[in-house]
Amino acid sequence: MPAQERPPVYAMVGNPNCGKTTLFNALTGLRQKVGNYPGVTVEKKIGTAYSQHGRPVPVIDLPGAYSLAARSPDEAVLRDVLFGRREDTPQPDRIICVVDASNLERNLYLVHQILDLGRPVIIALNMMDVAVRAGLRLDPRQLEQELGVPVVPCEAVNGRGLVELRLAMSRSALPLAKHRWDVPAPIAPAVADLQASLIEHDARPPLIARAEALLLLTDFDTMRVAGSRQLSARTAELLAGWRRRWAGEGTDWSGTLIKTRYEAINRLCAGVLRRTCETGPSLSDRIDAVVVHSVWGWLLFAAIMAALFFSIFTLAEFPMNWIDSQIAALSGWVKSALAPGDLRDLLTDGVLAGIGGIVVFLPQILILFFFVGLLESTGYMARAAFLMDRPMSKVGLHGKSFIPLLSSYACAIPGIMATRTIENAKDRLVTILVAPLMSCSARLPVYLLMIATLLPGGAVPAVTKVGIMFVMYALGTFGAFGFAWLFKRVLFRSAAPLMIMEFPPYQRPHFREILRQMIERGWLFLKNAGTIILGISIVLWFLTAYPKHPDPAASPAQQIAHSLAGRTGRLLEPAIRPLGFDWRIGIGLVTSFAAREVFVSSTAVVFSVEHFAGGKRADVTPVRTTLAAAAWPDGRKLFTPLVCLTLMIYYVFAMQCMSTLAVVKRETNSWRWPAFQTLYMTGTAWLVCFVVYQTGRTLGF
Amino acid sequence: MSFPQQPLSPLCQLPAGATARICRLTGSDDFCQRIREMGCGEAALVTKISGNTTSLCQVNGTRIALNHQAAMHILVELLPSSAR
Repeated sequence: MPAQERPPVYAMVGNPNCGKTTLFNALTGLRQKVGNYPGVTVEKKIGTAYSQHGRPVPVIDLPGAYSLAARSPDEAVLRDVLFGRREDTPQPDRIICVVDASNLERNLYLVHQILDLGRPVIIALNMMDVAVRAGLRLDPRQLEQELGVPVVPCEAVNGRGLVELRLAMSRSALPLAKHRWDVPAPIAPAVADLQASLIEHDARPPLIARAEALLLLTDFDTMRVAGSRQLSARTAELLAGWRRRWAGEGTDWSGTLIKTRYEAINRLCAGVLRRTCETGPSLSDRIDAVVVHSVWGWLLFAAIMAALFFSIFTLAEFPMNWIDSQIAALSGWVKSALAPGDLRDLLTDGVLAGIGGIVVFLPQILILFFFVGLLESTGYMARAAFLMDRPMSKVGLHGKSFIPLLSSYACAIPGIMATRTIENAKDRLVTILVAPLMSCSARLPVYLLMIATLLPGGAVPAVTKVGIMFVMYALGTFGAFGFAWLFKRVLFRSAAPLMIMEFPPYQRPHFREILRQMIERGWLFLKNAGTIILGISIVLWFLTAYPKHPDPAASPAQQIAHSLAGRTGRLLEPAIRPLGFDWRIGIGLVTSFAAREVFVSSTAVVFSVEHFAGGKRADVTPVRTTLAAAAWPDGRKLFTPLVCLTLMIYYVFAMQCMSTLAVVKRETNSWRWPAFQTLYMTGTAWLVCFVVYQTGRTLGF
Repeated sequence: MSFPQQPLSPLCQLPAGATARICRLTGSDDFCQRIREMGCGEAALVTKISGNTTSLCQVNGTRIALNHQAAMHILVELLPSSAR
């Protein structure tokens, strides 16, 4: 296809909470591809819209940002795509700037920076309805005249303005902006100098080079992300030279430049924006009076959290049991269809067990995503972070770390992926390091099995069992906060974090959007975690199946004892004996490195439990009975109440999840942090268990 | 219009319901740049809605939450009620 016939690639940019994603979804429907920018856990979304003539138009949805001076990985990706610094994403030909009409000045700041790029721009003036309700009258035509680019008023939520936007996108040629603003005279030579170097040494087109020069000169703490091209040595040297010079002179060009841009924007807005009437407190203001109230706010927050946990742990049970039974049935079918042998075992004990182990958590994760989506789309999430800021600040984190930690109760992986909204790199790292301490749902089967072994049958009231479970959750939560405090004081000494967060106006939840997000994120989870767990499950199967026991008639327990896993368990025994664990529990600890719940099934195999159906199941009675009978070679009972308790505590703290480590590696771009995380978490687990077990023994338990 | 010079105070100490003008930012370059870019730079008007440790403010029709450390770095001048 000749170059001029290739449809232009559009990028969609805008401030956070400007309705950009809603507009993107409305334009592209279900024709989207969601992935990740390699090296960073920032979602990469490319969709296809159709022009008025039915031609497909690719649209990239870029993360929300206030400015091109990036402060978080999200914003760095936006900047790098627009500047053409990323190998993995084509530089967009045209840009759609989504602007919140009810907050025009601030939204135009990013637009002003983007107009510097000299690319064709369409402005989507979104949330016109909110602006009208706030007593603002906007004149889109005037804005169009002033800027010289198409301005399309729209309400993405109600589907208004979409046709007009599509029409504008279908135009074969778009006018370039009448974008005249004077760079403050004293910095002009520096801009020219850097621009020339960027053109010559970094192969940038002239206009992009100018915009990038302006940004580099004023963005002091340039955030770098993996996968983005570095500056050439010559340009970096020039830049450092200018910075040193200005630092010596004591001038703040960054502040001056921002002021100059805002002055230009204010002049622009004077003719476009009119306040028609003084409106009283808006509905959002009235709701906020209750939601962030020091008493009512906390009561509401507690009620929402209670509903969230109730749903995750009770509603999810039905689909989880169903998935379990389906996987078990499939496994049974494979067993009946194939002749006994390694291939059959690999399929049932490796592949199917691996898939089952991950799919079974999908209901809980989807419920969590539903709540997170609901809270985000209504605007409540920012308020929850605001409320949580005070308790979080006690350990040196701020309110934004609350959402990742909350997500980690279901699974640390979405939790770690949610840390990307935290601007400060140190705060983000601390949040990533402590997130896996929050008791995720994979620990639940282990807790359930141990509680069942500890307190068999109906002899004890359910309240006691729930109480023990609660203690485990509390232990993990306090552990996370304690370590956050410690890391912030010892490892990452930095000034107290500064949090600035915008409160979006409250909105009715859009269930279609939430559903779409649930599907997208659920699929990403399956893909990311699923491939890793599946791989590891196969490796673990190999470790338990080889080398083969010399006697072909050996029982599964004998085979496991003979296998590599069994040998590792024995090798491990001296290290875990002080905690009251024998080598068979050691095998469970080794195999559950794939996922914690694997402990239950591998324990079942190791202790040769009969009538056990595999996977994660609610009925642990056969395992419990066998475990209760298990003993040391000298006849002492193995699973004493103290050992059960110690084992639960071990699982609270120990880093027993390969998938989490893989995600942490991807997020932090080094193996150093996952290694550190494994050491500190498993080390703590060992120490705490040692103290608990030895104290318990001394006290005669 | 000029008003008698008021002493500057950090935003966190502004009483709820009061409106003030941002006069000076004291944090790191990084922080100053971001807060200016968000439209809370010098000369912006800010109305405190609630909060002592974590402040909730209204700036240019947007609600912005700032934690105590951030609010301490924003020095404001209380406007007399006649000027609001």
